[in-house]
Amino acid sequence: SSSSSTGTASAPQDYNSYTSYSNTTDPYSAYSGYYNGYQQQTNNQYSQQQPNPSYSQPVEAYQNTGAAYQPNSSFQNTGSYAGTASYSTTYYNPGNYQTSGGYPSSGYNNQPTAWNNGSYANYTSYQYPNYTSDTSSAYSSVSAPATYQQQYKQWPEYYSQTEVTCAPGTEHLSAASNSNHGSSLPTSLPPPPPLPPPSLTPTWRPETSSSELPSMQPGGAASGAHDNYWNQPAPSFQTHLAAPTQPIYQNSLDSKTSYENFQELKTAPQGLNSQYPVVHQVSQNYQSTLPTVPSFDARRVSKLQIPTNPRIASNAALGIAKTEKDSYAANSAPRPAYISVSVQKPNDKMSPNNAADPMLKPTMLPKSLRGYVERAFGRYKDDDAKRAACEAYMKDIITEARADGTLYTRDWDSEPLFTVPDSLSISKANIQTPTHASIPNYNKSPVRRSKSRWEPLAEEKMLEKPVSASNEIGKYGSWDRKTFSGYSATKDNSLSSFRFSGPQQRTPSKSAQRPMKRQRIVNGTGLTNNDDDASSDSDKEQSLTAYYSGAMALANNPEEKKRRESRSKRFDRGQGHRPDINYFKPKNAGPANLYTRRASALMLSKSFDDSANQAVEDIDWDALTVKGTCQEIEKRFLRLTSAPDPSTVRPEDVLEKALLMVQNSQKNYLYKCDQLKSIRQDITVQRIRNQLTVKVYETHARLAMEVGDLAEYNQCQSQLQILYSEGIEGCLMEFAAYNLLCVILHSNNKKDLLTSMSRLTPEAKEDDAVKHALAVRAAVTSGNYVTFFRLYKSAPNLNTCLMDLYVEKMRYKAAVCMSKSYRPTVPISYIAQILGFSNAADENGETELSGLDECLEWLKAHGASLITDNTGEMQLDAKASSSTLYMPEPEDAVAHGDSSLAVNDFLARTT
Amino acid sequence: MAYLSMGESHRRITDYLNRFADAINYQDGDSLARLFSVSSDSPSLLSLADALNVFQDANRLIKQSEKFSQFGEVVAPFFRSLQCYRLGNLVDAYGAFEKASNAFIQEFRNWESGWALEALYVIAYEIRVLAERADRELASNGKSPEKLKGAGSFLMKVFGVLAGSCDLQGKGPKRVGALYVTCQLFKIYFKLGTVNLCRSVIRSIETARIFDFEEFPIRDKVTYMYYTGRLEVLNENFPAADQKLSYALTHCCLSKEANIRMILKYLIPVKLSIGILPKKQLLENYDLVEYNNIVEALKRGDLRLLRSALQENEDQFLRSGVYLVLEKLELQVYQRLLKKIYIIQKQKDPSKAHQVKLEVIVKALKWLEIEMDLDEVECIVAILIYKNLMKGYFAHKSKVVVLSKQDPFPKLNGKPVAS
Repeated sequence: SSSSSTGTASAPQDYNSYTSYSNTTDPYSAYSGYYNGYQQQTNNQYSQQQPNPSYSQPVEAYQNTGAAYQPNSSFQNTGSYAGTASYSTTYYNPGNYQTSGGYPSSGYNNQPTAWNNGSYANYTSYQYPNYTSDTSSAYSSVSAPATYQQQYKQWPEYYSQTEVTCAPGTEHLSAASNSNHGSSLPTSLPPPPPLPPPSLTPTWRPETSSSELPSMQPGGAASGAHDNYWNQPAPSFQTHLAAPTQPIYQNSLDSKTSYENFQELKTAPQGLNSQYPVVHQVSQNYQSTLPTVPSFDARRVSKLQIPTNPRIASNAALGIAKTEKDSYAANSAPRPAYISVSVQKPNDKMSPNNAADPMLKPTMLPKSLRGYVERAFGRYKDDDAKRAACEAYMKDIITEARADGTLYTRDWDSEPLFTVPDSLSISKANIQTPTHASIPNYNKSPVRRSKSRWEPLAEEKMLEKPVSASNEIGKYGSWDRKTFSGYSATKDNSLSSFRFSGPQQRTPSKSAQRPMKRQRIVNGTGLTNNDDDASSDSDKEQSLTAYYSGAMALANNPEEKKRRESRSKRFDRGQGHRPDINYFKPKNAGPANLYTRRASALMLSKSFDDSANQAVEDIDWDALTVKGTCQEIEKRFLRLTSAPDPSTVRPEDVLEKALLMVQNSQKNYLYKCDQLKSIRQDITVQRIRNQLTVKVYETHARLAMEVGDLAEYNQCQSQLQILYSEGIEGCLMEFAAYNLLCVILHSNNKKDLLTSMSRLTPEAKEDDAVKHALAVRAAVTSGNYVTFFRLYKSAPNLNTCLMDLYVEKMRYKAAVCMSKSYRPTVPISYIAQILGFSNAADENGETELSGLDECLEWLKAHGASLITDNTGEMQLDAKASSSTLYMPEPEDAVAHGDSSLAVNDFLARTT
Repeated sequence: MAYLSMGESHRRITDYLNRFADAINYQDGDSLARLFSVSSDSPSLLSLADALNVFQDANRLIKQSEKFSQFGEVVAPFFRSLQCYRLGNLVDAYGAFEKASNAFIQEFRNWESGWALEALYVIAYEIRVLAERADRELASNGKSPEKLKGAGSFLMKVFGVLAGSCDLQGKGPKRVGALYVTCQLFKIYFKLGTVNLCRSVIRSIETARIFDFEEFPIRDKVTYMYYTGRLEVLNENFPAADQKLSYALTHCCLSKEANIRMILKYLIPVKLSIGILPKKQLLENYDLVEYNNIVEALKRGDLRLLRSALQENEDQFLRSGVYLVLEKLELQVYQRLLKKIYIIQKQKDPSKAHQVKLEVIVKALKWLEIEMDLDEVECIVAILIYKNLMKGYFAHKSKVVVLSKQDPFPKLNGKPVAS
């Protein structure tokens, strides 16, 4: 894949993650690479030296991811988004990073992991998240450039964030970089709406751009700087691209150096004023590097990605001291098409303006949102401090909105303006109804709604094209979005929003810092540093977020907003008690955000440590039984590592809808399983024990049976038995039968079997399903294969599914038995009939022959000796076979024992 | 209840305390044991309980003298337990008793010799019985019964004390008490249905060098063999089950008919599985008539009778855990049936006797009102041959079972049916 090619670049660690997108459309495909690696140290270095080298490593990682993603259409975006996505993932799955290998922060990897966490923790390799649809970014800008530019000017800081990579890149990043892209890219970008997942993989390129962007931010100086950045990115791209294939890019890219590290960038994006300073520094570095370059977009993209991360970061805030450390080498791998010169220029122009806020860049944003932004800023024309706060706030809001997928769907015109906290200086006036909407297209796109776990949150929203792919993804990603939404909500609450934003942006940095799962550790270190800078504060938040990303994820729903508000207030009250918290919050951001995010008791306890010393054990768990407020129907499963946050928990009525949704869903089992697990979790934390509970478990048990997921089935079954014993109605008989079958066929525990049988009521014994199960039991214990396969054909409900798992064993036993008892031969046709092979034929609608063929194959595979008698009929040579029969190793055997969990298999099935 | 004066109450309590102190001072294990047996409902303890309910301040009496107060930690909770027991509050009685037992174990640990083993036995027994009753009370109140589980962990602790006492110098005098505690544990685990917990205890009994099985008291050995035999039945390890249960049977005191019956209840199915049928007299002597029809079915090759006998006593067999064992006898019944067919054929025409047509078998089953088609019967025949219950082969083409001319139906002779 392209990513591999980038690998050649061999950039040092700096760029951890590169996404590639290969758009079917081609031009873009090459570029997607962004790098996520933001190792803090290297920042400056990147720009010139290494972009290439650094990428190389990432590349490999991506490649993998690419493959994984390909199945999902959503991946297309990955290139640019990857960065963002990666961050998000980081929060969830530290483990994933490890897989990524060298890249501490590789965003891509993380993202995938994130969704993995939910249900498929095992597959670290999944990089899907990264690939969210990027397309959206491309769109953004067309009309609005002018306006944006203005805006940018206002917010130099944003710049850095906004670095938009090539059109493709931007798309990916969409969320973060929207504004920038919009202005510059739209024209240039042909926007490859269709995101060909496969293409993506090859294309991966690390994008340095993101890092650069931050540097841009400084604003005035920026313009020059911007140019540089752009240029720089280009080179980086080239390298990446080269491998991928698109020569065009290479050229352009070559000239430009990659760059920047974004530690600062991250902070800057986060928005808070404090962060910005850092950014500027970075930018300076970059500035030197290069003149105008198309690469812009890419950079922006990368930045954008970063913002998404912040979500994570927000939680982490406590722990993460300094994102600064992290340098983001965002390489924007501009897509060739994008590279087009004309585009670049616009970008440059834009860049200064945009610099202020990547998020805010007009291109990326819907018109209405732009209007909203303008209004928001309008309020603070006179007050720089407030405006800065406002910017930060806006970023948060936008990021969240992206994450939520509401970026385009939300009614920005009617969205209340946030108020900048007093300390900050305010934002009240600024936010007005958003008037500008250059990005309307996106708004309506389904993509946003679909939440893919795979994709980085923000990105998804952006992409229109990816939609189809993203939809699938969307399922998984749903919670991500939610989280974002939650943030957005918080934005509404001025204080809270700030906090969140900070963390989100920071997240990227976090990822960079922590190569692996040990985000926590990193955070801790970061904390120490924080004191100095506001940015440092933000970093801390980020780190926390990373830590508690899980919790945060829960809290994303819009409904949570209100809750968060109230909670944030609560926390505010408490601030006095906790010095730690206060210090985390930069000037602008109130402590509230942190708290709001963290749903976890742990966090609370930590925060209280100094004063209250509350231990986890002291927490009143009963008091933590929550009443959910989340209205999202879809939600990713994430194992709780802390107390549940009511804002991420769905109340019963929503859960019912969710259950219906899952039942009617056409998506695959893994998706459904994940959704059901999240439903089960919500039910558990709310202590709902009624028919709904039973229904959920029954639904899940059935689904699990259908795919042979015994582990999940057993969980459900044991819960069901408890629920039934409490007198809650359900399909008692049906599950009694399943239970029997399961014990007989799979656990072979005599004691359990006796217990189960002795518990059957006389009525139960009259039930068809139970009778069937008992008959199967008898057939199995006596080894009566004829009866077994007859029962197999007449199985009610899903009894067949459970029997399926025993068929192979039964057939083998039968074959052994027959080879010993029969002489001289047994006709294959008879064996096929007796051992249920003809059944398969019926299913296929084919003739009896196919059952026969299947039987033949099976016998051969098991070492049977076959002969043809004088009538030409195939016979089993019983005597010869009796010593040669063997049980072959299952072909799909996997080390972890569950082939259904195999990544490749899963991916193959997903498509 | 007759009115009990304070003076009388006081007298009874001090009397008990004196006896308690004496038992310990004289290392009189039997007397001490009697003083602990709450559930024995002995008159002396009952009257003490009444006295305690009248004289509420027994603790003062205990503390009064140095002679009593040294046992305060044992006696005080014991008094409370006795009071609660008398009042029918079994949950609290159990709780207090466990507390007293804990204190006693601490003392016991310090005693060099095993003189107090008898008392320990009583405590182990009482704690189990009280826990069972407490659980019954809890269950009737709709609460979750958990006391027996608690008693299980307490007894594990006692087991550890007994086994641990031997560590220092080879064999300690208290080790012989370990098997009694083990048996109490078995009872608890079987009652709770957590028989897999038995494994760890069994392992230490059978492998630890400090234990010499023959050294244990005979009654404990019998109990132990009975329970381990039952475990083997569950595992369908018939030879081992046969050996253990037979040991229990042969060592069991002949006067304990109930115990013999319990052993036979498991031993008979095991023996049936290895082809040994009991005399009818035995079944009747020990009131094990539920096996009558099963034995009869085996003798006659009457599948229908076997099935109906199983059906009839299904609940009982399921509860005792022998259902699956008995069900497996079906193959032996088939074997018997085929053998009968073979014998009849032999009488008619010895030259063709070794060829049994499938149709004949189907017809025979039909007479038993069991409808089976050719395929099913063919499968049964194949299994019989496969499991070596029948020697010969099956010719599919002609649908004929061709029997070996030499010993076509080998007897099990104490060996289980091949799996």
